[in-house]
Amino acid sequence: MNSLPPIAEVLLSEEQIQDRVRALAAEIRRDYTGKDALFVTVLKGGLYFLADLTRALDMHVAIDFMAISSYRGGKGPSGAVRLIKDLDEELMGRHVLLVEDIIDTGLTASYLLRTLAARDPADLAICTLLERTSRRIVPTLPIRYRGFEVPDRFLVGYGLDYRQYYRNLPYVGVLAPRTKDAP
Amino acid sequence: MEELPGAHFAHSSEAEFARILDFYGIRWEYEPRSFPLKWDRQGRVAESFSPDFYLPDFDLYLELTTLKQSLVTRKNRKLRRMRELYPHVRVKMFYGRDYRSLLAKYDLHPAPTR
Repeated sequence: MNSLPPIAEVLLSEEQIQDRVRALAAEIRRDYTGKDALFVTVLKGGLYFLADLTRALDMHVAIDFMAISSYRGGKGPSGAVRLIKDLDEELMGRHVLLVEDIIDTGLTASYLLRTLAARDPADLAICTLLERTSRRIVPTLPIRYRGFEVPDRFLVGYGLDYRQYYRNLPYVGVLAPRTKDAP
Repeated sequence: MEELPGAHFAHSSEAEFARILDFYGIRWEYEPRSFPLKWDRQGRVAESFSPDFYLPDFDLYLELTTLKQSLVTRKNRKLRRMRELYPHVRVKMFYGRDYRSLLAKYDLHPAPTR
């Protein structure tokens, strides 16, 4: 832990994030009130955003969590992404909102959407706090709510990690580029 | 040169990228098409561009360029020309910083440069 690179700058302050979360919650409340809403996030990154977003909502909403395996790299076939924690809730006929901390390539979101869509929800959309369109590979994602467009830098905090650390920062910071794997 | 079922890759970064696409269940084809960019006086193709990947589910071509600025500049020029000549074709450059960020996300390290 002593070798963690420092935070070079604060990109989004706690106040900026919380203001935006409240604004997103107001939009979501307008669209989802009276519907059987289920908000789903992926562990671990989406945890903080989902918690703050749902607490800012003045409406009934159920929440649930998924976890998926990570790509490991190396030579030969890669295997395939798989659920290592599935949802507890049924999706059929419900209005499902996938709550993400960040969408960049869209590969993870694309997999999750395919998985969720196969369970016949009434509606399926994405709410992401951060979006980095410059890295997008999957061009068509149903992003209905977006907090901030962010630049192409290594971000940590508010759910985003560097080797599992920094997730608990209340702000989004830019990691100082002193390690060879931090771009 | 590295191989995966269905492709002989010119560079290990392309093989790694293909493995990442496989991991997420994204179908891909490796260099399936060349787009002529320039012709000589006899009408023969003098320059063409073959994007590294085609993703049929998104009707999207992707070109990886990992580090060397001279290559990036040349590929950017080709990409601009391709967009002029084939405006209906969706093509995207995946830059070295994008690729390194993708690897860093998985705690991997970039392959040697090309």
